[in-house]
Amino acid sequence: MVALTFRLKVKNAETGATVEMELDEDNTVDEMIESAATFWNKDMGAYVLRKGKKVLRGGSTLKDSGVMAEDVLELIPDPEGG
Amino acid sequence: MRGDWPGTGRFNSALPIPPRMEERVVPGAVDQDRFDRSRRVGWIDLDAVFRSRVLVIGAGALGNEVAKCLALSGFRRITVVDMDHVVGSNLNRCLFFSGEDARAGSSKAESVARGVERLSPDTRARAIVGRIEQLPVQFYEGFDVVLGCLDNISARVHANSHAYLARRPYIDGGMEGLTGKVMVCLPPDGPCIQCGMNKSHAKVAGMRFSCTGEGVVFHEPRLAAEITTTSIVSAVMVRECLKVVSGRTDMVLRNTFYYDGQRNVSEELEVPLDPRCPNHPSDVLQVSENHITSGSVQ
Repeated sequence: MVALTFRLKVKNAETGATVEMELDEDNTVDEMIESAATFWNKDMGAYVLRKGKKVLRGGSTLKDSGVMAEDVLELIPDPEGG
Repeated sequence: MRGDWPGTGRFNSALPIPPRMEERVVPGAVDQDRFDRSRRVGWIDLDAVFRSRVLVIGAGALGNEVAKCLALSGFRRITVVDMDHVVGSNLNRCLFFSGEDARAGSSKAESVARGVERLSPDTRARAIVGRIEQLPVQFYEGFDVVLGCLDNISARVHANSHAYLARRPYIDGGMEGLTGKVMVCLPPDGPCIQCGMNKSHAKVAGMRFSCTGEGVVFHEPRLAAEITTTSIVSAVMVRECLKVVSGRTDMVLRNTFYYDGQRNVSEELEVPLDPRCPNHPSDVLQVSENHITSGSVQ
C-alpha cells in the first residue's frame, strides 16, 4: 500500500517565517522537527511541533497525529533552562 | 543544615500557626496579620500551606524566585537541592545571592535556604548540596509537592519520573530568554514531562546551561535566562503549588502554560499522555484510557 503524500506548512515561531514541506503520512513528527530545525539552522536545543493548541508526539506518524494536508504547524522552542 | 532527610530532625516539630483572622477582634488587626491578603483569596487553605513540605530542585534563577514566592506565600517547610556554587554572573537574576556569596563560592542551595529564613522567620529551609540523581524515590515521599527548577533535560526527566513514581505532584518550570513554560504533573493518570519530549530533547539531554558546573558537557543556550521571564514562570509555578496544597486540583493547570514575552502572549498547550512513556505503566494507562473512553461516551 502506497503512503499518501501531502503538503503542509511549518511556521517558525521565533521569526514568523514559514516553509512548505512535502511529506508522506508515514513520516514522523520527529523527522519534521529535525528537517525544519535544519532548514532554519536552528541552534541546538529542544523543540516541539504544535498543531493549534496541541503538542504533537515526537515518535508518532503524521497519520496518527491527525495532521492533514494544508495544515499549518508551528515549531516552538521548548525552554529547558532554569 | 546539610544532607539530612525528611521524616527526621526539625521538620517533625510543631511549627507555630497564626490564629485565623476571625478569632481576633482587635481593631486594625488586619494590618498586623502578615497573611491577611492571602486569607482574602478564598480558596487558599493557609493552614495546609503552613503544614506542607515542599521540595525545590535547583537553586538557580528559577529556584531563587520560586523559593521567594513560596516563603512569602506562607510555606514553612522548604527543602532546596542543588550541587552548584554561586558565581558573579548569577547576580543579575538571583535574589538570595550576594557578591560575597560569589567571592566565597557559596553553595547555591545553602544561600537560598539562608535567604528564605531571613525573608520569612517562621520558615524552616533546609539545603541539600548534591545532585538530585543521588536521591532515591523514597526521598520524594517525604514531600507534598515537588517543584523542578532545573537547567537540563536529564535532571528534569529524573525528577519527573521519581516524583511520579512516588505519586507526588511535580510542577516543572523552564525558561530561555523571554520564553518560559510551566507544566503540572499529577500522578497517577496525568501526562508528565517526558510525554512531551521528542528526539530533539534526547539530543541535548544531559547537557547543561549552567555556567559553573565542573565536569559537565555544555551547549550554548539559545538565549540567556532573563529575570522578568523567570519572575513570571516562578509565579505561575507557586500559584499552582498553592492550588495543589489547598486541595483545589479542580483549578490546577491541566495543560502546559507557555509564555512568549517577546510577543506578549501566554497560552495553554495540550501535552497528551504518551502511552509509550515509561512513567505510565499499563495498569495506570488502563485507568487513564477508561477515563477518556467514559468521557467520550458521555
